[in-house]
Amino acid sequence: MIAEEPRVDATRVTELAQSLESELARLIVGQKALVRDTVISLIANGHVLLEGVPGLGKTVLVRSLGQALSMSFSRIQFTPDLMPADIVGTNIIGDEDGRRQFRYQAGPIFANLVLADEINRATPKTQSALLEAMQERTVTVGTQTRPLPSPFFVLATQNPIELEGTYPLPEAQLDRFFFKVLVPFPSEHDLLEIARRTTGESTPQLKPVADAETVLAAQRVAREVPIAEHVLLYAARLIGATHPDRTDIESVRRYVRWGASPRGLQTLVLAGKVRALLEGRFNVAFDDLSAVAQPALRHRIFLQFEAEADGISTDRLISDILEHTVKEAAKA
Amino acid sequence: MGSLDAIIRQLRWAAARARAARYAVHALVGAVGWVAVILIIARLTPIERWAEVAAIGIPLALAVAALAWLFRRPSAAVLMRLADFRLGLKERLSTAWERRTESGPMYDAQRHDALQQAAAARLATAFPVRVNRGEASLVAVLAIFSLALALLPNPMDQVLAQRQADRTSQARAAKAVQDAQKKIADSAKPTPIDPQVQKILQDAQAKIGQADSPRKALESITPAEQQLQRLPDPGTPALSSSAQNLANALSATSAGRSAAQAISSSPAQGAQSVRDLASQLQSLSPKDQQELAKALAKASQQAQNSQMRDSLSKASSSLQSGDTASAAQALDGVASQLDSLQQQENTDQAVASAINGLEAARQELAAQADRDAKGQGGQPTATASGSPGASPGAGTSPGASGSGNANGNGNGNGNGNGNGNGNGNGNGTGTGTGTGNGAGGSGGSGGTGSNGSGSGSGSGAASTERVYVPGQPVPGQSQNDPTPLGPGENVPLSPYSQVIQAYQQAALDATDKSLIPGSERDLVRQYFSQLGEQSGAAPK
Repeated sequence: MIAEEPRVDATRVTELAQSLESELARLIVGQKALVRDTVISLIANGHVLLEGVPGLGKTVLVRSLGQALSMSFSRIQFTPDLMPADIVGTNIIGDEDGRRQFRYQAGPIFANLVLADEINRATPKTQSALLEAMQERTVTVGTQTRPLPSPFFVLATQNPIELEGTYPLPEAQLDRFFFKVLVPFPSEHDLLEIARRTTGESTPQLKPVADAETVLAAQRVAREVPIAEHVLLYAARLIGATHPDRTDIESVRRYVRWGASPRGLQTLVLAGKVRALLEGRFNVAFDDLSAVAQPALRHRIFLQFEAEADGISTDRLISDILEHTVKEAAKA
Repeated sequence: MGSLDAIIRQLRWAAARARAARYAVHALVGAVGWVAVILIIARLTPIERWAEVAAIGIPLALAVAALAWLFRRPSAAVLMRLADFRLGLKERLSTAWERRTESGPMYDAQRHDALQQAAAARLATAFPVRVNRGEASLVAVLAIFSLALALLPNPMDQVLAQRQADRTSQARAAKAVQDAQKKIADSAKPTPIDPQVQKILQDAQAKIGQADSPRKALESITPAEQQLQRLPDPGTPALSSSAQNLANALSATSAGRSAAQAISSSPAQGAQSVRDLASQLQSLSPKDQQELAKALAKASQQAQNSQMRDSLSKASSSLQSGDTASAAQALDGVASQLDSLQQQENTDQAVASAINGLEAARQELAAQADRDAKGQGGQPTATASGSPGASPGAGTSPGASGSGNANGNGNGNGNGNGNGNGNGNGNGTGTGTGTGNGAGGSGGSGGTGSNGSGSGSGSGAASTERVYVPGQPVPGQSQNDPTPLGPGENVPLSPYSQVIQAYQQAALDATDKSLIPGSERDLVRQYFSQLGEQSGAAPK
């Protein structure tokens, strides 16, 4: 899979992730899981869909990440009238050497870190403009395909409560996101800390801890982390268990319409590898898979209407799956 | 790699130890469970040597557990996975073992990390020697249960004791038949039918030994007896009667007196004596010849055997006509008939011995069958036994019987009955001069029975006493004709030894067809058994 040797040592990746988390923690109060999942997605070269009510620090997180990584950052506020060209760019007429001719004006998508704020407010046409960018990491305008800068990391946010005038992301696009991370409301203690930090005389300024090259190297190292066959089998069983026709778990059979795609398995394994590195380990453990199962699978499992009626969430079903899926070592 | 191998060795040893303890407890559960099951089954159905069967389960369970321990060893990969799982090593060891042949910075780092973590962990604790509480409790409960079952009385013990007694009884019965075989084989007077008798006894012995129960074994005795009873020559009684009449007739002559005594003593001696008489005919005076001719004529008239009658008639007529050579030739024929009679009596004796053996077996089996029916089959000491009668007729309870036997010089048959319920029977034959000198019969054997004892004695027949028994139909006489009874000069008499078998058969048939208690049947069998033996012994 990996053609070239990693440029940094595996332990360096761990240090990078830990320093990144520490730096973000200076500005982001609490939300450790959110930060951890974001870092995992970044090193795994995936995109993150953040879901939470406004004001929880989603935008701050992405902006802070841009500062801590000293990479280019752009923010796109998705609105119903946002056009694809507003994202990917367009050809415009301009003067060049006294001649008027078309030249390509790159859109905000050309950045290392892209914040697609309130992505579900844009029309599906505009949303789908992100499809190629997220998956192929290229942009095609007219007849010309242009590569996006590397690393390319999209963090999209959506508000789960203001549903009027929104366009829910289609399943195909949801599947493109590596993680779907829920941004919880801060605890009282965290709220106090937020108040202290953000209403004082000065706001903490982040210092860069890594650049794009370091992140790319870390991404390559992460893919080399070995995973034992029985752990890989466990990941496959988790994915199989999300399918109602391939599992004995009653809740899954009752509430799930479609289970996770093979991309879900790739996500599980890759995220597990990164998490192992972040934990200072050089192999994937069952715990790594369990830890990343919720963000990796919650947007890849589609529920029946009955689940909605009964108030069953995908997180609850994933918990059921984790509880009932047998680990090979335990069976042996 | 080397370190991983060392880890594997440690894990293997620890796992083997832990599994040994676990399988030992499994084996204990199996063994104690086996014992408990055997004990339960032994209370539901009789199991001989249940203790041995139960004991077999212990080494068997241990062997099975040892084999399972040996052949169900976990692989190295599984050991690593279990160690990861139990020591919280986060799949480090299993990954390192699985990728032990891979090379590269990441694999090296992973291996190093795994070895480092393993060094910090106590690998043996991944496979602790632990006894499952549930299994240990189960062993304790089963052990207590088994002990209680073993100590409490088992209702099947009585059944087993009965079976043992049955087998012992059958063995004794078979031994009795074997003794009869030996007795016949050792007899100084072999007969042509000895092989047949031996075969019949051998078959009967085998059937008795192989029978499921004494009652089944009993069923094989009657057919054997019937086969034996078909062996003697049916003409023997007529020939014997003729010989006796000849002896009676000759006893009145001076020339034939010694021959008469010899005939009465035994047919063989009689034959020799008649041959001697034939060789002396020429030296006899005419008066003696005439006297002898008349006696022979009289004997001829009374003879029931045609050949004997013809020989006697020819000898008488030849002697009357003075043809001593022809008379001697005819007397030689008479002697041959007497030899034949001796042979037939030997045959009868062999058959009687065989029947006695079978009857002894029958008695043994019947007694055991009765005890089985009464539920006392398991008490070997409850066998009834008889004792020789000590006092004449002192029997005071039903079922007692006794018989006596005498062999004297008196003429005639004697019968004696004891008082009360004791029964004595004496028998004596011989020749006499008119004054009785027959010896009394000796006391009979004691009675058998479960609730009494008896004794009997018989007195021998005096020489003047004449006891008649119903005679066999003479040739030409209809079976329906009434059998002549009572004293009378012309009533054909049958020697006791010739009729006993028919009487015995009739009585046994009657007991078989009637609802007669087993103990009473035994008395009948014993009575005839003893009579049969005496009839064979009497002529000696």
